[in-house]
Amino acid sequence: MDMFANLALGLETALSPTNLLYCFVGVTLGTIIGVIPGIGTLAAISMLFPITFHLDPIAAIIMLAGIWYGTTYGGSTAAILLNIPGAPANAVTALDGYPMARQGRGGLALLMTTVASFIGGSFGIIILTLFSPVIAGYALQVSSAEYFALMLLGLVAASTISDSSALKGLAMVVLGLLLSTVGMDAQSGAARFTFGNLALLDGLSIVALAMGIFGVAEIIASVRKINVGDIDRKTISWSAMLPSRDDVRRSWMPLVRGSSVGSFFGALPGTGPSVAAFMAYALEKRSAKEPERFGNGAIEGIMAPESANNAADQTAFIPTLSLGIPGSATMALMLGALMIHGINPGPNLIIEQPALFWGLIMSFWIGNVLLVIMNLPLIGLWVRLLTVPYHLMYPSILMFICIGAYSVRYNAFDVFVVLGFGLLGYLMRVFALPAAPLLLGFVLGPLLEQHFRRAMVLARGDFTAMLERPVTATVLSLTGLLLVWSVWSGWRKYRARVRAQQAIEA
Amino acid sequence: MKTFAFAALALGMLAGVAHGQENFPNRPVTLVIPYGPGGSTDLLGRQLAAELQKIWGQPVVVENRTGAGSMIGTAYLAQSQPDGYTLLFNTAAHVTAPAIYTDLPFDPETDITPVAMLSYSPFLMVAGSGVKSERLEDLLVEAEDRPMFVATAGLGSSSHFAAELFVGQSGLDMDIVHYSGGGEALTDLMGGHSDLYISSTASSMAAVAGQQVKPIGILGIGRYDSLPETQSTAEVGIETPDIRIWQGIFGPGGMPRELVEKINADITKVLENEEFLGMLSANYTMAATATLDEFQAMVAEEMDFWRKLAKEREITKD
Repeated sequence: MDMFANLALGLETALSPTNLLYCFVGVTLGTIIGVIPGIGTLAAISMLFPITFHLDPIAAIIMLAGIWYGTTYGGSTAAILLNIPGAPANAVTALDGYPMARQGRGGLALLMTTVASFIGGSFGIIILTLFSPVIAGYALQVSSAEYFALMLLGLVAASTISDSSALKGLAMVVLGLLLSTVGMDAQSGAARFTFGNLALLDGLSIVALAMGIFGVAEIIASVRKINVGDIDRKTISWSAMLPSRDDVRRSWMPLVRGSSVGSFFGALPGTGPSVAAFMAYALEKRSAKEPERFGNGAIEGIMAPESANNAADQTAFIPTLSLGIPGSATMALMLGALMIHGINPGPNLIIEQPALFWGLIMSFWIGNVLLVIMNLPLIGLWVRLLTVPYHLMYPSILMFICIGAYSVRYNAFDVFVVLGFGLLGYLMRVFALPAAPLLLGFVLGPLLEQHFRRAMVLARGDFTAMLERPVTATVLSLTGLLLVWSVWSGWRKYRARVRAQQAIEA
Repeated sequence: MKTFAFAALALGMLAGVAHGQENFPNRPVTLVIPYGPGGSTDLLGRQLAAELQKIWGQPVVVENRTGAGSMIGTAYLAQSQPDGYTLLFNTAAHVTAPAIYTDLPFDPETDITPVAMLSYSPFLMVAGSGVKSERLEDLLVEAEDRPMFVATAGLGSSSHFAAELFVGQSGLDMDIVHYSGGGEALTDLMGGHSDLYISSTASSMAAVAGQQVKPIGILGIGRYDSLPETQSTAEVGIETPDIRIWQGIFGPGGMPRELVEKINADITKVLENEEFLGMLSANYTMAATATLDEFQAMVAEEMDFWRKLAKEREITKD
């Protein structure tokens, strides 16, 4: 296949005035939806879905895709400025982004996350363009056993992402895992912790949980210490936004690692940008020379997750387009937009619909460039948003959060879940319990459990059969080593501290 | 508290229901789809909504009330006014899910009125890359030597019940593995991690056309026109009822008969539209021909059938 002819065809399609317009509409909507906490991609795309019936299929999917990756660009804004992530995938960004904003480096953080998003997105697009069919083939080889091993590795690696005490972090991971078991057991059908409530059979909604524990909790906490308009105007100026040489130097490797981690997890059906962001952050913190900088405004802590979630956004199209298998509910919607026009995604899509396939991929490039052009001048505006009086801003955010939680499944119960988790989140703050590990446990829990259970059924209940799969065995041993190493290094630090104390006392 | 509110609302509105079937509808109608947007049922339901909107001259608003294998949307319907302004579009999950969810806040037989059957498709069994056989009769031999895995789109889904029916009737030693959704089930079939998947042609024919999975059998008596080579289970000596997977419209219990007949007639009108029929066949689905009475009898019969199967195969959680 002639790659240049394909790319030319794609560019020609994507640059047609109509498609360009819909790409612009998509990314603009995406940015706005991303900035507003609560209203997520899924809700936004479901609301706009009916419009796509009346559009040309290429324009339709270009627009929906624009909303999808545009949201992740915008999602970091509220995470950094308000400590309220726009979407679950941006929750990790708040860990270092918000401290940066408090240090008066909010403008810089927004600029750098735009750069990270662009580089991550571009990395994902390159992988998507060059290796789609190959990766899709490999993705099929990954069975539940490997998924389970990978998720376990991720859980062990990322369980110490918060900067407070390791014990508290672990406790919150476990709480997250426990919360994720609410609902019907996927293999046996037993109802767990549902108290006879039908709405709980499908488990707690991730949007409701994330928005409650981050958004509502932040609002409750802030209401008690309202200090309006203390934003330093200087942070909006261009000079304050430009990264120092040190910032740039620190950002390179996190970008490369984040993009790679993100591309990997994005291409696996079922994982997606949230898992990618957590893993990238964990990897960065693990490989850092001074891990204690994380959580206190380390630039690496925003570059890695933001490049990862944007890379994952793009590579999520690999299983969707080349296998016809949607990796998430949002991807299912995009496939739906094609199916309604009689286009069946699958391995033949590239051959049967080259203009659509390459046009879409080229529209990703254009969309990412548009997002950068659009986001840079907007940074000043976003930062100024902070000067909006809190008695106006917080009620609106609360309203958007409730609408967002409700619109995922049109269920009023989810609004109560938001409020419940808002209270829990506030209590957790009072006791200095970190929220990010809880979300991590909640995101990974169902994946871990379902894949483990399924792997056990497929191995006919024989755990050792799982260890006979080379990839599973390797990843599980790595996990074991990591666990041993963590415990050992923790113990060594503890011993060192005790010895130092004894020396002082002596 | 919620029930009280609904009861109060119901009493208040009941008075206004009795009159006015002839000018139905004179305000927007809500079509509840008990699945997430983007899936095959949602797409079909949305196109039906668009057609009904043309006939009725009133907006038909789609609401996706997801969860509990379509039972959350159905529970919502059961609590709505039986005035035709809230309708539900569901699949055969309407008759299979109640066999699993025994703790429902409504009675699926009396609190729901079947209004019209829209379409149906055969149950198609597809095989993944790990299966050598090309024909159903060879598969039965292959499965004797190597216990196989049957994937489902989830516990309580119609693909689950079809799997239980096939395993039970064939007497083969097979394990049932649940996935979350047909997409996941098909992926593992393609990768050779599980072997068989039985579902509507609408959900698996795209993968068949892409040669990612092979069609191996039809669960039922007759063959399927688009796959004339594929044997049916009855042909190879597996005792199977004449079953299909279907889609239909439902209303709350206690809907006046004339209103049900009026909506049923309007659905029949939709099924006369060439464009709509073309869309159905492009999605490997056939237009229904059942009358209102036939449909209502079929729903009652199938609900009974699957409930018995659930008891026999010990799927029901009690």
